[in-house]
This record gives sequence, structure tokens and C-alpha cells, in this order.
Amino acid sequence: MEIKNYSKVKTIVSGIIPFGFLVIMILYLVGPSSNLLEFGVSLPDISIEKVEFVNSEIHVTVRNTGPIPVKIAMADVNDRIQPAAIEPDKSLERFETALVRIPFSWNKSEPYTIGITLDDGVRFDKFIQAATPAIKSDYQLAGFFAIIGTYVGVIPVMIGLLWLPFIKRIGKNKYNFFLALTVGLLIFLGIDAMLEGFEVSKENLSANFNGGLLIITITLLSFLGLYYSAEKLTSRTGLTASSKPFAIGLMIAIGIGLHNLGEGLAIGAAIGLGQVALSTFLIVGFALHNTTEGIAIASPLAKTKSPVSKIILLGLIAGAPAILGTWIGGFFYSPYTAIVFLSIGAGAIFQVALVILKWIYQSEQKLVQASIVSGIGAGMLIMYLTSILV
Amino acid sequence: MLSAIIGVSTIIVFSAFSEAQLEQKIFVTHSGQVIQTSGDVLDPVYTASTVEFDPEKYLRDFNYGRISESESGQTIRDFTIIAEDDKIQEISPGIFYNVWTFNGTVPGPTIRATEGDLVRIHFINNGSKSHTMHFHGIHPAAMDGVFETVGPGGGQFTYEFEAGPVGVHPYHCHVMPLEEHISHGLYGVFIVDPKIARQQADEMVMVLNGFDTDFDAENNFYAANTIPFYYQHHPIQIKTNELIRIYVVNMVEFDPINNFHLHGNLFQYYPTGTALVPSTFTDMITLSQTERGIMEFQYKYPGKYLFHAHKVEFSEKGWVGIFLVDNPDQTSQTGIDYGN
Repeated sequence: MEIKNYSKVKTIVSGIIPFGFLVIMILYLVGPSSNLLEFGVSLPDISIEKVEFVNSEIHVTVRNTGPIPVKIAMADVNDRIQPAAIEPDKSLERFETALVRIPFSWNKSEPYTIGITLDDGVRFDKFIQAATPAIKSDYQLAGFFAIIGTYVGVIPVMIGLLWLPFIKRIGKNKYNFFLALTVGLLIFLGIDAMLEGFEVSKENLSANFNGGLLIITITLLSFLGLYYSAEKLTSRTGLTASSKPFAIGLMIAIGIGLHNLGEGLAIGAAIGLGQVALSTFLIVGFALHNTTEGIAIASPLAKTKSPVSKIILLGLIAGAPAILGTWIGGFFYSPYTAIVFLSIGAGAIFQVALVILKWIYQSEQKLVQASIVSGIGAGMLIMYLTSILV
Repeated sequence: MLSAIIGVSTIIVFSAFSEAQLEQKIFVTHSGQVIQTSGDVLDPVYTASTVEFDPEKYLRDFNYGRISESESGQTIRDFTIIAEDDKIQEISPGIFYNVWTFNGTVPGPTIRATEGDLVRIHFINNGSKSHTMHFHGIHPAAMDGVFETVGPGGGQFTYEFEAGPVGVHPYHCHVMPLEEHISHGLYGVFIVDPKIARQQADEMVMVLNGFDTDFDAENNFYAANTIPFYYQHHPIQIKTNELIRIYVVNMVEFDPINNFHLHGNLFQYYPTGTALVPSTFTDMITLSQTERGIMEFQYKYPGKYLFHAHKVEFSEKGWVGIFLVDNPDQTSQTGIDYGN
């Protein structure tokens, strides 16, 4: 027993020793030899993360995203110097943020360029396409967002689910086509979510945060995590063959729900940041696009007897997060949350796509057949065509 | 009893209120709004200037040199000018920029002589790059400060020429790349007075200049005499019916033109100051690079009068000031009540 304990300690110590050396090396580099490594010039860098147009003031959120502390010295609007205030103060440590308040009687829907100058005279700027009054978090607006979220998320998914009786009636080959169509839809949605994430990262996130890698990492983690837990769940509870389709339907609903959360975030943020005027046309586009998501949930359920209430529940799981997304995006937007949600959604969707493919393979023993290949192709094409509307 | 309670509670409320007020800083916007903040104020206009260069002093500071007389009776004026290029100067509150200087300032000292005087400039280059002094005016080729570059780390050269012609002229470094040497601040004003002195006046020098602090070949700041918004914050005090004479030189780089507009008045303008008769009576002149002249005017009515670039972009980046005519009220200099 003692010998066993002793070897255990040895294992732990041998695991810790490399860390010890790593710490010593870092301390040495930062301390005694820090002069050795100082070549090149450390350039200050800031990111203008958010610009809000409030009552006769422009509020600018800046973050120090450079390698050294910075001092903010001046603000300008359209390259014209303006007196301004900075809260809490003008010295920013690495990654610290501050709010610059520029008193300015801005004109609605006109474009503005906001400039921030550091103490070394370097100016950073951000272009805003159209000044839109910043939204206040009140119940009315929350209601407005809920309506948008319902139109974009809940209703289209429910309409999509109405294809369920149709899918039930068709033959095996056609059914496989619809399952494959779902896979196509999902692959498209997953890629779409990732691209959306890359766009958010490019526009609002400093390169320092490695937005691209963050998206890929979270997508993979979400994929692996969900894949692992889904496998565990289905094997442990010993789900019967008939309940498996429902489990898959549930997984699809959750994946799509996360995706719609991301979509809601994008819409809420776009309204919140005043980047787009959300037109009826755009809502219609999103709605058409998301109807296909209902089909994705319906397909695996088609050959089982699921009560209507359960199907409606799945529809809500998939659609309702769009409402939550618009709230988060509109009231508490940050590029990080947007990227994290979009990436988790992408991982979840890829996971579901793989599960359906495995499911088809289990019943068919081969994937290369006309109905499946054409189904995947058709799914992606439908998504592409409806995405043009958005 | 009731009134006592009200009184006490008023004091409590009021003191709590004024305590909160103490933590707040205030500033005034260009349109006169008073804004409060719990943070720092970013304001090149109204914060007390801590900048090293004093535009107030430069405005009426003329250097006549060390005066002696030659055997033939010619007045000799000796000046020592030292060039440096390692100074970091606060050119606008909170903004630090590497200025290249003649005698430590941008613009360099205003050199003044009378037509026909012998001017001797003992030039020492203490910078890390080659520099020269190139005077606009009439002089021998060897005194032109173009081909005779003066080496860094203590190189010396003596420029010697007869002052002329009458007028206001710029001097500047003429080492390549020229734009770099000028825009960093190596320039100043050289005034040649006529032998029969001009009419007595309140005289001042204004160098219209700018700074490209982020090196994108566009100026970030403009000013009359280096510090943006300085004379708006500290109005120039003059008297009614007194003749004002301004020697104005445009040294702005990158932008093809600059201009000068005077409010509530017109001025007699002498381009380059070479003629003793004004060429025009106007409130607006346009100046290209190193274009300069003499403005003369007097104010009839007391009050505050703006002067600024009517290329409004420049004035909104600092090239704007105020003449305070005959106003004995000292408090109005703080600038807080500007716009009222």
C-alpha cells in the first residue's frame, strides 16, 4: 500500500516538474533577461468596439488591444476635434476598456467616422454607416424584439414542421432523400454560422483575440462534447429503436436552437448597433430560410408516432432561442458572446448532421445512392437560394 | 420646528449634493454645452495648457541679435541658432510629438533686422541628422543653405548676408527629404524692416503650421503658432483704435493652401511685405506654402472677435483664435464662457 502511494507521488511529481521549469523560464525571461529580448518597437493598439448614438452624445467603447498600456488623448467626429470625456479615466492597461463620451448633436441616419487619438498622436477610427438612436432597454422594445424573434424563429420552424404528415406518407427512397436533405441543410447552416462568426470577429474583434481560432476551437469542442454526451446518453438509457428518432429530433432541435440564438444575436445586435435598418423584406428572408429548419426536425420523426405536443415542444426548442438571441444581441451585445454562441451552434449542427448520416448508414448500409447524394445537394442548394433573400 | 427640520435637511441634502459635484469634472463643448463627467476630460480647447511652448510669448517676441557696427558704419547683427531633432514636445494637451527645432522651439526664433544690415547666423547642428538654414530673400548662392549641408553632432556654419529685401520671409531647413524636415518643425520667420520704420503698431507674428502626428501625409493638428486652439483659450488682448500689424507666414505642409479670415473687420494686406503700399483691403487672404504677408488693421468696437482659417477643417483642428478688444474683464479669458 505504501509502495503504491509512493509511486503515485512519484507520478504526480514527475508531472509537475516540467511545469516548474516552465515557470522558472518565464520568470527569468520577464525578470533578469527581459532586456535581452527587447528588440523591435512595441506599437500601441486600440479597438473601437462599440459606437452608440444617445441623446446629443456619441458613446464610444474603446479597448486597449495592444501590447503596452496606452493613454487616450483626444476624440474626433468626422476628423474634426471635439471636446470629450473618458470614463473611468484616460489610461488604459492591456485589455482594459473605457467609455468615451463625445457631446455631439448628430443627425439621424447620417454616416459618421469616430476617431480616437493616443498620446503619441496616432489616430484610430471607426466608420458607422448610419447613426441610429441607441435603444433603451424597456419593455416595449423587449416586446418588439420578441415579435421579430417569433417571426424569424418560432413561426417558420412551426410551418416547416407542418410537412411532417407529408413526409410520413412517402416511400423509403423519398424518405431517405428528405433525411439527406436535412443533412444538407444542417451542413449549410453550420458553415453559415462559422462564416458569420468570422465576419463578427473581423469587424468587431481585435486581431489579438485570434477570433478565427476561437471559432474553430469552440466549434470543435462543441461538436466533440455534444457527440460524446449524446452517445453516452443514448447508450446508457438504452433507448429503443423507436425513441431514437425522437432523440435525434431533439438533438437537431437543440442544434438549430443554438443556431437561431446566434441568428437572433446578429439581428438584435444589428438593430442595437444601428448597422442596418431591419426591413420587412429582411424578416421575410429570414423566415423563408428558417422554414427549412422545420423540415430538418420533421424528417427523423416521420416514421415514428410522436404526440403533437412533443413536436410543438421541439419546434419551440429550435425556434424560441431566436427571441432570447435578439434580447441578448440588442441589449447586451458583445462580439465575444456572439462568436461563442455562433460557434457552439455550428458544432451542435455538425454533430447532428453526423448523427443523421450514421442513422441512415445503419438502416441502408451505404451512403452513396441517388436519393442521399441528391438530398444533401438539394438541401444545400435550397439553403443557398433562400439565404440570398437575407 | 418645521422650518428647522426643513433647514437642516436642506443642508444635509445640499452638502451631499455638493460632495457629489466635487467628484465631477466639467467641460464646455464647441457649442457651449456644459458637460459633467466622473472621468477624465479630453479637451484640447479648455483644459489649462501645460504645453512647453508658449504661444503668448512667441507672438510678440522679436530677436534683433547681438548688435555691433562695422568700420564702414554698417550694423552687424549676430545670431546663434542651434538645431536639434530629439525633442518630444506636447504639441497639444496630451499629445506628444518628436519636434525638430531651431533654438528649442517650433517655430524657431523670429529674426529681425533692418534692410542693409549685415546678418550673421552662427548655426550649430546638435541634431542626429544633417540640417541647414535656408532663408528666403536675396543673398549669395553659398549662403542659400541648400548644398552646404551641416553635419550632425555639432556641425557648424555661418550664414552671412545683407538683410533684404524689405518684408516678411520664412527660413527653414533645406535638407532632403524636405517635407519631413519642414513638417517636423524646422522653420521660423525673418523680418526685414524698411530703413524708415513703419508706423508704430502692436506687432505680432503668426506662423500658420500643422502637425502630422500619425505620419499619413495629412495633418492631424493645425494652429496659428503651433498649439491648436491656443488663442481661442487665451484670447490675444488688443486695444480699440490701435494699429495692429501681423506678420503672417504659412508653413503648413501637405495641404496646398491655407487661409486667414478676420471677424468684424477688414485689414490692409501687403503680400510678402515688400511694398509699402497695401495691395488690398479685405477680411480674407489665401496662402500657399511659405506664402506670407503683413496685415494691418484696427478695431473700432470692443469685444471678442474670432480669427481663423476659413478652410473650416483647419479651424476645427485648432487653427482658430480670438482677439479680445479692450475688455477689462479678466475672467472672460478663461474660455469657459466662450460661445455665450
